[in-house]
Amino acid sequence: MASRYDRAITVFSPDGHLFQVEYAQEAVKKGSTAVGIRGTDIVVLGVEKKSVAKLQDERTVRKICALDDHVCMAFAGLTADARVVINRARVECQSYKLTVEDPVTVEYITRFIATLKQKYTQSNGRRPFGISALIVGFDDDGIPRLYQTDPSGTYHAWKANAIGRSAKTVREFLEKNYTDDAIANDSEAIKLAIRALLEVVQSGGKNIELAIIRRNQPLKMFSAREIELQVTEIEKEKEEAEKKKSKKTT
Amino acid sequence: MAATFFGEVVKAPCRAGTEDQEEEEEGRRETAEDREVRRHLARKREVRLFRRQTKTSLEVSLLEKYPCSKFIIAIGNNAVAFLSSFVMNSGVWEEVGCAKLWNEWCRTTDKTHLSPAEAFCVFYHLKSSPSCSCYVAEDQQYQWLEKVFGSCARKNMQVTLLTCRHVTDYKTSESISSLHSPFLKALKTQNFKEPPCCSLLEQPNIVHDLPAAVLSYCQVWKIPAVLYLCYTDVMKLDLITVEAFKPILSSRSLKGLVKNIPQSTEILKKLLTTNEIQSNIYT
Repeated sequence: MASRYDRAITVFSPDGHLFQVEYAQEAVKKGSTAVGIRGTDIVVLGVEKKSVAKLQDERTVRKICALDDHVCMAFAGLTADARVVINRARVECQSYKLTVEDPVTVEYITRFIATLKQKYTQSNGRRPFGISALIVGFDDDGIPRLYQTDPSGTYHAWKANAIGRSAKTVREFLEKNYTDDAIANDSEAIKLAIRALLEVVQSGGKNIELAIIRRNQPLKMFSAREIELQVTEIEKEKEEAEKKKSKKTT
Repeated sequence: MAATFFGEVVKAPCRAGTEDQEEEEEGRRETAEDREVRRHLARKREVRLFRRQTKTSLEVSLLEKYPCSKFIIAIGNNAVAFLSSFVMNSGVWEEVGCAKLWNEWCRTTDKTHLSPAEAFCVFYHLKSSPSCSCYVAEDQQYQWLEKVFGSCARKNMQVTLLTCRHVTDYKTSESISSLHSPFLKALKTQNFKEPPCCSLLEQPNIVHDLPAAVLSYCQVWKIPAVLYLCYTDVMKLDLITVEAFKPILSSRSLKGLVKNIPQSTEILKKLLTTNEIQSNIYT
């Protein structure tokens, strides 16, 4: 049945599927994992870094991009589609600021991106955007926000979520480990993001990129050294927990 | 010539049998050049078994020359990576043969540096374990089976097949998003009496290509055989997909062969970093 209804974006199948949109969601799974955590006073975005060719400039291969001073996003899926969406979002952020003299709210820019994506699921001759995005930031009221959008144009607020390859595994880890203690302070929230990524990242800390936004502070990208330190601390804590467990059983 | 109701002009068949018809038939008849092209293509698509070290071809089928009790076939790069890291890292494996074949899907002709990502069939002997990362087309499957199994039944042999398939090929009444991929499913022949290491593949799912050909051969010749099929959403070489095969390590066919699991994980990570294909389309 799928083969007769999956070529044109504007055609529903008899059982109500828009196959091109569903196939676009498969394209998202081809991108590497990205995880977003909403803490009490911090929002964290962690991504699995793509392997960069030897001669390629690493700075041009980024999964985390700032949309404005107080909002940033991570994406998973088609690189070129992400570039187009990010550019449109950045222009919209500035246009909004110049028009109403206030920075965008995280919800506003997420809704803008989601509406853009939805338009491409209902238009002749165009295909959906093959990306999902995690958008984080702080609004003027000081409340941290995390939203996720997908190729169908839906968006939802989350406490923590993951997109891309192995997103399901990471989400299950977050469901078990996202507790009030885990986000009690900033460093715990950062560690939670790294621990979630370590579940699926193939070569440990050197393949992780991390960005945080604290209330009233600009976006901060962690250096490789800082991430390595966090990973070492996490591994130490894991070892100590395992030692305690084995003592208890004996 | 005739015109239809819709105004198109169609060639109406002539009952008188004119010269035109004879010309058409002549056009359809094969010329010597056609036959030569067809012969050349058939020769190109031939499956050949040979020893890489001596470059001599094997005159008899592989299993006649190297009979064994356990025959493990890994098809596809994830299955091959699993076998290379977990099974072949313990014991001394001798390369006994290599299947050379060409079809329209082949992208590489380099036979010297092989890795799970390359397209090739290499046979190793300990208890004989071929790993096959190339696509064997339908017309070549019978040849491959003949060259490897021969044309008579193999007694006292058990065959284990490992392969991967994309999770979107898995037919189920549940929603695909609720499936926890990668996951393993098994399909076995009637003579395979051991319980498989995972649940059986449900209807209406079917097995395709070389694994199907091998299983059918084993069913016909009453050879106990089991196929472990990993449904994954990442078809390229991936750690999580390879680790999904781990439950098979407890099976009787692999138990005696697997010795050093921590070392295997290290070998696997190395294999993955060496074979990572750099692509900028997805981030």
